[in-house]
Amino acid sequence: MNPDFEQRLAAWLDGALPPDEAAAFEAELEADPALAERAANWQVNDRFIADALAPLAQAPVDDVLLARLGLAVAEPRAAALPQAANDNLPWWRRHAIVMGSAVAASMAAVLILSTQAARQPRPDDLSLALETTPSRGTARLADGRTVQPTLTVRAADGRWCREYRMEGGVGLACRDQGRWKVEAKGAGAGPDATAQIGLAGGADGSALDAAYARLGASDPLGADAEAAAMASGWNAR
Amino acid sequence: MAGHGAVPEDMRTAIIAALPRLRRFCTGLAGNAHDGDDLMQSTVERALSRSHLFEPGTRLDSWLFRIARNRQIDLARTSQRRGAQVAVDDLPDMMGEDGQQTVDNRSDLAAAQRALQAVPEDQRAAFLLVVVEGLSYREAADVLDVPLGTVMSRIARARARIEQVVGRSAGAQP
Repeated sequence: MNPDFEQRLAAWLDGALPPDEAAAFEAELEADPALAERAANWQVNDRFIADALAPLAQAPVDDVLLARLGLAVAEPRAAALPQAANDNLPWWRRHAIVMGSAVAASMAAVLILSTQAARQPRPDDLSLALETTPSRGTARLADGRTVQPTLTVRAADGRWCREYRMEGGVGLACRDQGRWKVEAKGAGAGPDATAQIGLAGGADGSALDAAYARLGASDPLGADAEAAAMASGWNAR
Repeated sequence: MAGHGAVPEDMRTAIIAALPRLRRFCTGLAGNAHDGDDLMQSTVERALSRSHLFEPGTRLDSWLFRIARNRQIDLARTSQRRGAQVAVDDLPDMMGEDGQQTVDNRSDLAAAQRALQAVPEDQRAAFLLVVVEGLSYREAADVLDVPLGTVMSRIARARARIEQVVGRSAGAQP
């Protein structure tokens, strides 16, 4: 198989071909079953390897590891930050993949936001939780309430927005100058309503529909894109 | 060297948030969990000691991936000097000789690792960045400090090699 075909196949799989070249390549695949089979093999291999490695990014980052890496939080203020950023959820990335039970189990992971922090609820606890908790992770606020971010979108004005569940309701907050500000709240499924949170639908999204429409929100980010946005400190790309 | 105390809090938080993916990248690059953890630790140590070199507004995860890849190159040089190089074709058998690896052989992860370790390191890094970590070709080219066209050819060669190693496809599983 010639290298030119292989490079175009790779670029096509990665969505890196310009639209006209992609169309031409797809026509080639349709015309040649052998090429099409090869493309399918590559895709299967990609998916197999990405799936096999996915759990590595879900294992909890515990205190022992953080200490070993020199990342343990020491100052009192920092105690309000998550001790672990785990559950970097898998697989609604480029290829839609069925989730296994092991993943559902890992969703039970809870991030403790604070055990030693101030007993008083801090006004920006929610903001901190949304800043650092992956969707489907759970953060416990200093006052004992739990927050589960469920999805991340981009508003038309470029702000990041996240839907979350808290206290039996749903909310939508957008990031503005380093703080997550609540844009809308509504009644909805409580945090215990389901063991497996909807991927794209969020909770009872109807309560937030008006806010989503007003914000001109994008489709939800995949887990990796969300992790990347989080890792970049929610900077614009 | 800037001590850890000089590392801004938001950066430390961002590094922690990026750790799961860094661990995955390092493990795929290194070939096993133990070496992957060593690589991750070495990467984080370097990131903390050079945090002042991080350009705000750029992706921290990409920066960590870049450091990891460079650390891996250093480590490979060291092990070559020790004569610890392993012939790629011997790899599957060798992995079966180790008790722990024999247990792991049952898992998809071990199968994926065997396929990955048969791919030359520079191609493997490109493959992991794009296919597993979801970076664009442009982003991967920046991480690896190579032209875009080099990333394209490396990823294509990686996939061709994986195809060769696993036979028809790795997905032939129950």
